[in-house]
Amino acid sequence: MILKKMSLLMAAGVLAISTIAGCNSSSTGDSSSSGQTSANEDGTVDIEVWGTNIGYKAITKGSKLYEFYKEKLGVGVIHPYVEWNGGTNYLNQLNLKIAANEMPDLFIPQQGIEDSLAKNGAIADLTDLLPKYAPNVWEAIPQEMWDVVKANDPTGQGKIYYIPGVVEYGRYAGMIRQDWLDKLGLTMPKTQDEYVKVLEAFRDKDPNGNGQKDELPTGGREQARWMDHLFAMYGVAMFEGYPEWDIYNGELTYSAVTPNMRAALEFAAKLYKEGLIDKESLLNTKDKWDGKIQSDKVGNYFHWVEHGNLILENLKKNTGVKANFTVLPVPEVEGYEGFYTMKRFAPPQWVIKNNKDENKLMATLKLLNNIYDKKNWKDLFLGVEGMHYELKDGKAVKLPDDKSSQENQLLNPYSTLATLDFTIGLFNSTSSKDSKWAIDQVTRNMKEAQKYAKVIAGDGMPASVYDSFPDINNRTLYVEYATKIILGQYPIEKFDEFVDKWNTSGGEEVTKRAREWYAKVQK
Amino acid sequence: MVESKRERALVTGVTIFLILFSIAAIIPLISVISTSFSSKSVVDMNLVTLWPKEFTLDSWKYIIDRPDLWRSFFLTVGTTVIGTILALLMTALFAYPLSKSEFRWGSVIMVCVVIAMIFKAPIVPYFLTVRSIGLYDNPLVLILPHILNPFNLIIMRTFFKQFPKELEEAAFLEGCGYFRMLFHFVLPLSKAVMATLALFYGVVLWNQFQHPLFFLQDTNWFPLQIKIRQFITDDSVMMAGTASTVNLNYNERTLRAATVIFAIIPIIIVYPFLQKYFVKGAMLGSVKG
Repeated sequence: MILKKMSLLMAAGVLAISTIAGCNSSSTGDSSSSGQTSANEDGTVDIEVWGTNIGYKAITKGSKLYEFYKEKLGVGVIHPYVEWNGGTNYLNQLNLKIAANEMPDLFIPQQGIEDSLAKNGAIADLTDLLPKYAPNVWEAIPQEMWDVVKANDPTGQGKIYYIPGVVEYGRYAGMIRQDWLDKLGLTMPKTQDEYVKVLEAFRDKDPNGNGQKDELPTGGREQARWMDHLFAMYGVAMFEGYPEWDIYNGELTYSAVTPNMRAALEFAAKLYKEGLIDKESLLNTKDKWDGKIQSDKVGNYFHWVEHGNLILENLKKNTGVKANFTVLPVPEVEGYEGFYTMKRFAPPQWVIKNNKDENKLMATLKLLNNIYDKKNWKDLFLGVEGMHYELKDGKAVKLPDDKSSQENQLLNPYSTLATLDFTIGLFNSTSSKDSKWAIDQVTRNMKEAQKYAKVIAGDGMPASVYDSFPDINNRTLYVEYATKIILGQYPIEKFDEFVDKWNTSGGEEVTKRAREWYAKVQK
Repeated sequence: MVESKRERALVTGVTIFLILFSIAAIIPLISVISTSFSSKSVVDMNLVTLWPKEFTLDSWKYIIDRPDLWRSFFLTVGTTVIGTILALLMTALFAYPLSKSEFRWGSVIMVCVVIAMIFKAPIVPYFLTVRSIGLYDNPLVLILPHILNPFNLIIMRTFFKQFPKELEEAAFLEGCGYFRMLFHFVLPLSKAVMATLALFYGVVLWNQFQHPLFFLQDTNWFPLQIKIRQFITDDSVMMAGTASTVNLNYNERTLRAATVIFAIIPIIIVYPFLQKYFVKGAMLGSVKG
């Protein structure tokens, strides 16, 4: 009997629950489908913004960051939490939202979704809107970049459908331990031969002074990534281990299939054979490789220059050594012109819903205009006092990351439009006394790295050239051959086989599309 | 004698193999546990392999002090328990009539069930449906979509079919109705299938990831699996000028390790007791189609 009563109760409970859920549905349906939005009491308009959030809190109406943005930018920003998950889940959710006819007013597109949205007229044509209503955006981004965006218009009409992310300076460089060079009485290598001699000295002469031969002269990470400095000296366009497009032999070409790449791989294989590259290079995860650098074992690595302070400070904490990393000038190799690859185009930063609601469209443009206004940048970067930063002796210091209490700083100029001066300024203004030595090194290196950065010709090329050739986009074939050649499992002659295979498996078609795109940009 | 000697050798060989195998399986776990108890520096330098070095509880303190993790934990425990009970009840209520030959529409409904099992709704219509019944951003989405699974329903129906008819006929003669029959005779005698299905439902509810990911926006209602994912993913973008975490005695790696252990403790505790039902469950319903 008891059992029966309990189950009856439960059944009733289920019914009740589903009824409540039913009620909810009607009410939410109403609120979301309303047409013209009325402004808030103070005349501002709320818009929904979607973007990267890797675990921080959402921005909800009336929350601290909401109020902060409203005060600084004049628009209420509602930013619901959407699990990012490398962008994949974000994209899924975004698709579902669009299917439900609830596209956010302003959002970061992913994986080329802006192409189909533009074709369907779902996102706003910004060609005339930006200069008129968001002049700051229009002026902050150089004209040649807008030209590339126009060339990328999927409808082929030369219109602007997205605001590109911009990086105005070279972020990458090979970093070398200046203190090791000094200790061994060596000078900064200028040519490749000198560079190899330095690596040999790092390997043999115990620069970290612990009596063990545990130094790793240089190295990289799995999938032949993060060893771009070895390729840079041969003029191979390479971006975080992804071969890129540049002018070779007078034409836009995928760098992985050029003679330059062949020579670079041959060189890397030689270094590997002689133990000058970490033997585990092709197995290193980020953690593993960073760990080696931070335990005073690595002489030369390749990464973002501006992240160097973390390496330096961790290295000091772990081993007590105040390391000195400087930028490795691209070593000269005869017959090649070396450079560190620079791309000014970050992935598309914003697209705007083709809003029927004029108020919201104008509010969105106003928001963008104010985000790109340089005088707001510092404030946007710092965020809310007490939540994202605190004042120490009158100086704003960022608080450590805390995902459980901080709201997501969605509108961050640092990721929208990065300039060298601004980033260096941030470093200087927010560094603490203890970390000043590391920050000084990093800012010095950031300036130094500009000497070797070159913008490649394929900068801003849309991912649509790879349509229906995902393997080429993922450089699957390249990784296989490159790793095997470096490890010595394949002789360098195999490289020619790779080039053939690449061309026949879609490379030719992709190259054709890429060159067509380039011709359009050149016009 | 020769036979038994060979047999013994075989048993020894198998035992040694299994021991080695289980060692291989447990080493990564031990390594993660050790990482969670080690200091930031040694983990940073890849020095931790099997035993914790520079033993510290700092990572664990950080984890345990995080209210959102506990919240997710209890939320998941709660949804799993409530969801499993509801699921068993719904499945039983549905399966019982379907197991009766005198239920005229049974075979038609059964076909519908099978169709629902084979042709799963594509994600967009599914999303729109769930949303239209008001489960979007509603914590009930953690339970309601899971309380009836066609496959489990078929297992239970098959099990009910095996009940001796005579028993029920006798009960009916005494004036017992269907409900009483179900709750007084059938269910108490169905503990085996109930335990198995409870396990099936429980595992789904405990591990659910996709549903909350798609349907929930309020982070307060995020179940444990998503919270853990947030902790352990690598895609945190380092930002210039972020306050350095150098002086803390934990880092992402130790926290990740501690979180993973935190999340599997309940499973590790419960699993040995439930394991036998997994095996049983595989056999259930396989005799009579």
